[in-house]
Amino acid sequence: MTVNLLKRLGLNKYNVDKNSHIQVNTDICLTCKDKPCTKVCPAGTYEPSPDGRIIVHYERCLECGAALVACPYGAIKFTFPEGGISYKYG
Amino acid sequence: MSFDADVIIVGGGLAGLSTAITANREGLSTIVLERGEYSGSKNVSGGRMYTHALLQLFPDALERAPLERPVTKETYEVFCDEGKKITFSFEHKTKNSYTILRAKFDQWLAKEAENEGVLISYSTLVTNARREKDYIVVETNRGELKAPLIVDAGGVTSPVSRFLGIKKLEPKTLMLGVKEILDVKPNLPEDEGEARTIMGLIGNLKGGGFVYTNKDTLSVGVTIKVESLYNSNLPSHEIVERFREALGIEGNILEYSAHLIPYYGYDKLSNLYDRNLIVVGDAAGFLINDGFNIRGMDLAIGSGIVAGKALKKIKEMNDYSKTDIYYEMLKESFVLRDLKTALRSFKVLNEEEIFTKYPKILCNTLSKLFTVTSDGKERPINVLITESKNENVNTTKMLSDIMRLFI
Ligand SMILES: Cc1cc2nc3c(=O)[nH]c(=O)nc-3n(C[C@H](O)[C@H](O)[C@H](O)COP(=O)(O)OP(=O)(O)OC[C@H]3O[C@@H](n4cnc5c(N)ncnc54)[C@H](O)[C@@H]3O)c2cc1C
Ligand code: SF4
Repeated sequence: MTVNLLKRLGLNKYNVDKNSHIQVNTDICLTCKDKPCTKVCPAGTYEPSPDGRIIVHYERCLECGAALVACPYGAIKFTFPEGGISYKYG
Repeated sequence: MSFDADVIIVGGGLAGLSTAITANREGLSTIVLERGEYSGSKNVSGGRMYTHALLQLFPDALERAPLERPVTKETYEVFCDEGKKITFSFEHKTKNSYTILRAKFDQWLAKEAENEGVLISYSTLVTNARREKDYIVVETNRGELKAPLIVDAGGVTSPVSRFLGIKKLEPKTLMLGVKEILDVKPNLPEDEGEARTIMGLIGNLKGGGFVYTNKDTLSVGVTIKVESLYNSNLPSHEIVERFREALGIEGNILEYSAHLIPYYGYDKLSNLYDRNLIVVGDAAGFLINDGFNIRGMDLAIGSGIVAGKALKKIKEMNDYSKTDIYYEMLKESFVLRDLKTALRSFKVLNEEEIFTKYPKILCNTLSKLFTVTSDGKERPINVLITESKNENVNTTKMLSDIMRLFI
């Protein structure tokens, strides 16, 4: 029973902020080979783009806090959103 | 100087609410700032709570709190390659621990706090904090507030301590927890529940998984060291899915959540207090993971109770630099005592082999011991030595590591 990530994320209640609460210095990403942020984030917020930079889907963010340490090169600036996620069940 | 309250508590999770309830009962004016639209709306836990600390706060909690099921069966499972698995199960009809769901539980606790007179400001995000001469100002999306005593109860990311520049987060002291809730009703009587701890199903990642039975649902999740995700072949958003599938659990997913988990260990705890500041729960790094239990919730409540009492003493002294009183009181409580006791096993769990090689060696050894062929039987210790050698592991070290988990 494989459930697509976006479907899983769509189960949660979001109040998405107008401005992204995540800023990435994508110039630094150009020199980053393994792109560890894409492995660490459980919401697939960071997606590699073919030009070597990173696309940020900030509206997916589960606010786990991993973004605060996910980038070893200090390219991610993360603050918690004003709205963001609300869990209903657990 | 006039202040907004005696104490401002940043974070309305278990630690913050327990601090607030205790401080309020001690006669202090208390404000809780919570960024979620209700307490529990942003909180993630596997969901097994040891109830002893909660009972200190509310002696009748077992009757009143929204608990799911008492854990009456513990199952430990180690999976190895080729379908081999070691299982250990233990049943006991006690009410020592319960499964809970935080969205329900924290909301209940917040209501209790409000009924006792605690002021909670929801949807209030603390965006910065700065120290003035003898008090702290917290900046929020709704304006500034100041108090001579601030409690950082903001969870693992320790917002206040970070904003004040006394804490920096490092991947090596953090784990990532990812969890699903499934609409699978456990096939158990209502007053029974099971906690499964599972090793060996998440490849080479350092960590393990769990399955907890709630009243009508299952909590299924993994906890993994952040560092080990850097070189993983599997992105972290696929791990729970693979884990659930490997266990053969089928059902509709109701919720998908994730959260960092502190992983400091007793000897690496820092920033527990500072001038005008007290740090509780995950923000202080109070988490025990000894391979058998993961405990943060009882430590969050326990440290909150100690903090509430310490705040009263500090206020009475009228010297807000004397926050070390909290630390002295913590040393006398189960929080630091249990963290200290867990240190040995905690260190063992930092060893790479625990997750990668030991399960395989033990499985292969047991597999040979339970297999009879016409080649004749070897002594168990010789089988163990051979299997350890195959994995380049020193048998004595392995046995001593395993012993350290228990003694
Ligand atoms: C997957 C997983 C499994 C776990 N399993 C277990 C288990 O089975 N048993 C157990 O005992 N423990 C378990 N834990 C650990 C346990 O969940 C934590 O130890 C516990 O939640 C800590 O409580 P806390 O109140 O300190 O922090 P939290 O519950 O994180 O509360 C912090 C609060 O602060 C608020 N906040 C944060 N930043 C701000 C800000 N800037 N402004 C305003 N508010 C803010 C948050 O919204 C939140 O409500 C698990 C954790 C995870 C992630
Ligand atoms: S890890 Fe950092 S530098 Fe590398 S791709 Fe991700 S954000 Fe960019």
